[in-house]
Amino acid sequence: MNRETIPPAARIDRLRVEVAGRALVDGVSLTALPGRCTALIGPSGSGKSTTGLALLGEYPDGAAVSGTVRVTGGRAAYIPQSPAAALNPARRAGALLGDIARQRHGSGPRRRADRAAAVRQALRAAQLPDPELVLRRHPHQLSGGQQQRAVLAQALLSGAPVVVADEPTTGQDPDTKRRVTAELRTVLDRGIALVLLSHDLEVVRELADEVVALRDGRVAEAGPAGRVLPAVHSLWTAAPLAPSPVPAMAAPPPVTAASAAGGPTASGTAASAPAGPAGPAGPAGPGAEPDGDVVLEAAGLTAWHGGGKRRPGRAGTVTLREVALTVRPGECLALIGASGSGKTTLARCLAGLHRRWSGRLLLDGQPLPPSLRDRTRGQLAAVQYVFQDARASFDEYRPVREQVARTAVRLRGAAPDAALDEAGALLTTLGLDAATAARTPAGLSGGELQRAALARALLARPRVLLCDEITSGLDPANRQAIRTLLTGLTTGTATTPPTALVLITHDLPLAAGLAHRTAVVAHGRLALPHPTHP
Amino acid sequence: MSDRRAWLVRRLSVGVLQIAGVLALVFLLTEALPGDAAVALAGDHPDPERIARIRETMNLDEPAAERLAQWAAGLLTGDLGTSLVSGRPVTGYLTAGLGPTLVLAALTMALLVPVAVGLGVLAARREGGRTDRLISTATLAVYAVPEFALGVLLVVVFALQLGRLPPTAVGHGSDPLAEPAVLVLPVLVLLARPVCSISRLVRAGMIDALAAPYSAQARRYGVPAGRVRWAHALPNALAPAAQQLARTLDWLLGGVIVVETLFVIQGLGTILMDAVAARDIPVIQGLAVVFGTLTVLLNLGADLVARHFAPRTGAAA
Repeated sequence: MNRETIPPAARIDRLRVEVAGRALVDGVSLTALPGRCTALIGPSGSGKSTTGLALLGEYPDGAAVSGTVRVTGGRAAYIPQSPAAALNPARRAGALLGDIARQRHGSGPRRRADRAAAVRQALRAAQLPDPELVLRRHPHQLSGGQQQRAVLAQALLSGAPVVVADEPTTGQDPDTKRRVTAELRTVLDRGIALVLLSHDLEVVRELADEVVALRDGRVAEAGPAGRVLPAVHSLWTAAPLAPSPVPAMAAPPPVTAASAAGGPTASGTAASAPAGPAGPAGPAGPGAEPDGDVVLEAAGLTAWHGGGKRRPGRAGTVTLREVALTVRPGECLALIGASGSGKTTLARCLAGLHRRWSGRLLLDGQPLPPSLRDRTRGQLAAVQYVFQDARASFDEYRPVREQVARTAVRLRGAAPDAALDEAGALLTTLGLDAATAARTPAGLSGGELQRAALARALLARPRVLLCDEITSGLDPANRQAIRTLLTGLTTGTATTPPTALVLITHDLPLAAGLAHRTAVVAHGRLALPHPTHP
Repeated sequence: MSDRRAWLVRRLSVGVLQIAGVLALVFLLTEALPGDAAVALAGDHPDPERIARIRETMNLDEPAAERLAQWAAGLLTGDLGTSLVSGRPVTGYLTAGLGPTLVLAALTMALLVPVAVGLGVLAARREGGRTDRLISTATLAVYAVPEFALGVLLVVVFALQLGRLPPTAVGHGSDPLAEPAVLVLPVLVLLARPVCSISRLVRAGMIDALAAPYSAQARRYGVPAGRVRWAHALPNALAPAAQQLARTLDWLLGGVIVVETLFVIQGLGTILMDAVAARDIPVIQGLAVVFGTLTVLLNLGADLVARHFAPRTGAAA
């Protein structure tokens, strides 16, 4: 067809990148055509980023590179996963845009008007309708969306023939995902080639014309999106390709078989099947309804930022209004809602990390002090928090196992040696062997660190575990591992009682698969929790 | 921007309290020193009767708290009192000492900023390269030399052996600007250690900033290396350097006693030494007001600069 007649904007041919004898990427080829999207997919560590950065002429330190990388008609532009990191915190957002304009439109003072016009045009094209506002502000004064669009404007302004976008939708809520997808679509509409690195198959399906699936640095599958996408299922251990409301997980097969059999004979079959307590709960039920006493209860919880300590006052911005919730041991409560709806603030109030709130908070019927500084060791241990950004929650200079063990020492008064052993054992069950756990956080992947962060919280033997977006940013295999782990927590084991789980997430399949109740947070209010399963 | 104003007001009111604290502390400590102005004045004739007479004429027999209160009341009307030793107003002492100290401090700062930033940026161009190793080794070595040793060394070499520069300011009047050669050696001594500490801070900040994703992003778009260094990386490296610079300026304006003594310059440091020796409390207190105010204002200024270059930290402060 006429695919052959369009000259490619960028082409990689049999690229091999080797560091210290290990091939990060081996024999990868791809073509990016103007106005078309080529998606590079694959699990974390499969070589997506190495390939994407090769288009920019960037390689890891000390890498041996063979093969050819060619970009025609200029340099490739890059939209990093975290746009905030690409913006200079000490300069206004317009600083780099001005310099890019200087590269293209000349640096003399007489060309100033041309440059300013080009910058404004690029910002408008990146869907920032008020360019002046963005140019004047420092990055921290822009919202996450504005930051991403400012980075996109850099790419458009530079006149790059190809844009490399690294995981642009990872960890974003559905609204943001839709918006980012629309922005990337404008890149394609301007006749620019897009190389999309992602493990988010939804956005890939939406945008990609060509797909290159990588595994362990090699091309596992490549071709038109329509042909490759259905075939890549096997790349991930348990990634559901079609968006399914309830992913297949812990449900024991006999139950499914029994319900599938249905009909008048079903009762006999079901009775003989080893259904366990989950049997009647329906397919993929996360276990029996918990019926213990309420472990954590909040009532009339109103939280604000700024303003006074006791009440919001005039200067305060109220972020939560009159929120009430309860959780029981072994129960999982999912909190969902758009970014900025107040989900995280709510969890931070429960954990004692956010101090400006009023209302009532009870742990086992006893009042819980608002600030964690006033909580006893037992209260601190009882309510544990796992953060979205696992890397930021670790000290980068100390071994992970040591940091995980500190919880047991600090909160349970365990002896340091015993705590280290316990941490090592728990980390091993979570799939982090001794050698991995002995490294500093830099030597662990995002998924491994998130499991270590969970282990750190679990060593406190919490009654309530607050998980803030802990699966976003992970690839499907790691997500699955975390999901299995959390399921185990709510059911409990012979030695540990079931834990109450508060799950903040955008990941609706995760919420549906794990939560007994799901509550929607919108504009600081909590919609009445309703059971996920009857 | 009302956020910023509230921050300024809060910082300034804390600053006033800090100055008051410094004054009370300085007064208490001078009181605690053995002897007083009367003993010092009596000098070689420590006749108890004479000392008692001097005490009475100076009102030194009044309770300490009362004297502090009187002095503080005078301060509010801009009156710093008079010297116990000479009877001259304290403000006269301060203005006389401030001249030479200001000249030295201004000259040092004017050279310090470009030299230290330049060396820091140069060293960070290639971490571990030859230039970096040279600058890092030299700055560490110079930093290890105390002011008095460096001063003596410079005097021996340039004044006594080569005879190129005057060894001290003696005989050149009270205006140091009349004979600029007098200032060369003192300014060199004053520059030596601050240049080292600040250039090392700038170097460390530059290395971090040049490795940061925002610098990589600027390079990707073909922004020339020099512009990436000076316009994109340097602003991030300046916040810690600004804090250190404020501390250096504070040190300079306090009158660096070692340097003033070595080169016989009648600055604030020399006046402070003499006043302490004579237990001349009003002069000491006057100097404490000047030093305290300078310290508070300079640190406030440094925080403003740091806030400008690292705007996010301001939110937490």
